[in-house]
Amino acid sequence: MSENKLNKEQLLLDLLKKKFILNESAVRRAKRVEVKVDPKEIIPVLLYAKENSRYISFAHMSCVDWIEDGEFEVVYILWNPEDKINLFVKTRISRDNGVLPNIDFIWRQANTYEREIREMFGIQFEGLVGRQEFILEDWEHMPPMRRDFDTAEFVKKTYFKRPGREDAKDVREFVQERTDEELPDFAKKYSRD
Amino acid sequence: MYNDKESQKIVDIIQNYARKHSLFILAYGTGCGAIEIPPTMTSRYDAERFGIRGSATPRQADVLLITGYLATKSLKRVIKVYEQMQDPKYVIGFGSCTINGGMYWDSYNTINVLDKYLPVDVYINGCMPRPEAVIAGFVKLQKLIQQGKADGWDIYKKNIDEYKANQKKIITNWVMPDFNF
Amino acid sequence: MREKTTTLYLGPQHPGITGNMMVKLQVQGDTVVKAETHVGYLHRGFEKLMERRNWLQSFTIVCRICVPEPDPNEENYSRAVEEIEGREVPERAKYIRVMTLELARIATYLLWYGGQSGSAGLYTMGQWSVGDRNYILDLFEDLTGGRIYHMYIWPGGVRRDLPKGFKDKALRTMDYIEKRLDDYDKLLFENSIFQKRAKGVGIIDKKKAVEWGVVGPPLRGCGIKSDVRIDDPYEVYDKLDFEVPAMEGGDVWTRALIRRFEIRQSINLVRQALDKMPGGEYYNKIPNPHKWTIPAGDAFVKTESARGEFGYYMVSDGGNKPRRVHVKGPAYVHGVSLLENLLEGENIADVSFIMNSLGTCPPEIER
Ligand code: SF4
Repeated sequence: MSENKLNKEQLLLDLLKKKFILNESAVRRAKRVEVKVDPKEIIPVLLYAKENSRYISFAHMSCVDWIEDGEFEVVYILWNPEDKINLFVKTRISRDNGVLPNIDFIWRQANTYEREIREMFGIQFEGLVGRQEFILEDWEHMPPMRRDFDTAEFVKKTYFKRPGREDAKDVREFVQERTDEELPDFAKKYSRD
Repeated sequence: MYNDKESQKIVDIIQNYARKHSLFILAYGTGCGAIEIPPTMTSRYDAERFGIRGSATPRQADVLLITGYLATKSLKRVIKVYEQMQDPKYVIGFGSCTINGGMYWDSYNTINVLDKYLPVDVYINGCMPRPEAVIAGFVKLQKLIQQGKADGWDIYKKNIDEYKANQKKIITNWVMPDFNF
Repeated sequence: MREKTTTLYLGPQHPGITGNMMVKLQVQGDTVVKAETHVGYLHRGFEKLMERRNWLQSFTIVCRICVPEPDPNEENYSRAVEEIEGREVPERAKYIRVMTLELARIATYLLWYGGQSGSAGLYTMGQWSVGDRNYILDLFEDLTGGRIYHMYIWPGGVRRDLPKGFKDKALRTMDYIEKRLDDYDKLLFENSIFQKRAKGVGIIDKKKAVEWGVVGPPLRGCGIKSDVRIDDPYEVYDKLDFEVPAMEGGDVWTRALIRRFEIRQSINLVRQALDKMPGGEYYNKIPNPHKWTIPAGDAFVKTESARGEFGYYMVSDGGNKPRRVHVKGPAYVHGVSLLENLLEGENIADVSFIMNSLGTCPPEIER
């Protein structure tokens, strides 16, 4: 029964296997198929999926920072509206000077995703046009979504802190100091020190 | 006659009384708090009973509502908006994000303490504040206005150097005129 | 005389009831020739913050991602965690979740009524529908303790069981809202001003819609029957009885009709869920949250929110914190590339009208 159900998924996988060199591939569960390819195979695989397998809708594109391996993993998620299957195409590039091909001539809205990933991770896309700034403004530091960017440290340096926050102590005492309200009895009992 | 101290006092009282009953708000709807403004203004809570109503442009507004966290990109615009408003003007900070950063205290893109950058007259506590709390905050502001204690705009003018220094620490690319009252 | 092109900045301070974003318009007379969206005024870096919080702490912040409709976020987060971990959810919890999601959908549509008519200059509608929305928020308050943010649907089930007397109250509210919908029809859909404003404005091409990844009511308004609740059923939607409308047209008017139809379906779904709800546990207990680790793996889950498909891509490295949670809201496509494309050739007055009908929500674009 379950094999029957996964028919379409398996079919797609076999097709892709015949056509391309896949590093890894699997049917994850019903409606989810995953393939891993080299960066230079990205455009052929995506084009093939769009033109020959009716994966015409671009659902998502994401990036994960695997700092231990020194690599970024970029995931393209496609959607087939007829068979109702999500196809994951994953690829890995180097963290330091990784460059990916630009795919916004296949799907126009990929441009948005690529601009965000360029800004948040610092990955360059070959021939990507569009404003450099997407979400951030006048950002001069490391791209913030990289794992080695320490946001708590950055906040400490840049912004002010209201006293009463630094030691996770009960803030009610500070409130009492600043206003003329009396601390209720039950609150005194639960004070941390 | 108007130089007379006693009569000046009476004029002040009348002025403040009039002011407190027509608070035109400019909701710079940053942050989540903006979603509780429509219920506050519409039929159930009906803030217009208190003379609170929206205004279209900064020049007509009396109260600037900062409804939550301020991203640095927004802060630049908020400062500009605030300086365009006419005196006397008041600022209400809305939600714990404006007070101490709230749940985004460690976010690289939001400021934590609003009153270092703009003079805040009333803070409304909560995440997010209910419409009742919003109205309570406005009533508090009205009291302060009547007593003549809501003088944030005056403080801002007097300590302008300090405020500007704080603002410029975050906004690195300062392209607007320095001070445009 | 040649017409001069001027630049017009719309926003960043709330163009309509949508949120802070800016649309930079190049206009010739009254017509937009080029539009460019600028977002980022509400960026908080959720995805970074979640890397620093453990699995349960992250759950408390996800609902803040989309302000008008927080529940699909909780649902997505919980389901992604459950899928990676393989955690079972009790049957009763699934029904409660469906009910919560549908209530949230109704609340969002009521707010949309206000926004859509407000941007056409019809302010009475907003007074009515936003006022009536309070009754749904009251239900939420009973159920979860919060009006807007509920933090209710969490990994393993829901946080609390239904309180006493909730079912009756919910059914009564549904009856009331259903009655009011007829009034809304008279006020909005039979109003010739609204009809004239909405028909033939902001037309999305059918072929483009699929390719661009348009979702939700805008896609169904192009005549394509697509809904995550049917395509990739989650929770117990496959056991409930409902219809998904699809109409040809692709303009603002069609999208409004779709929503008008859907809100009735949602009322029905709430009734069904309350009716068929089995007894038993509502929560599959999670271990001590400080020591709670999730096995390595990744998942892409989808939920149908009122504005379309909400997707979460979640990666775990086997630790006690998420490695990466990437949120893709419906507005990510609608609000940036699609909007820029649609606005060309439209009237300036229709800009925020179209934005509202696409369901643009900046806090979820930039997170
Ligand atoms: S205080 Fe809470 S509701 Fe208000 S902006 Fe901050 S997180 Fe949002």
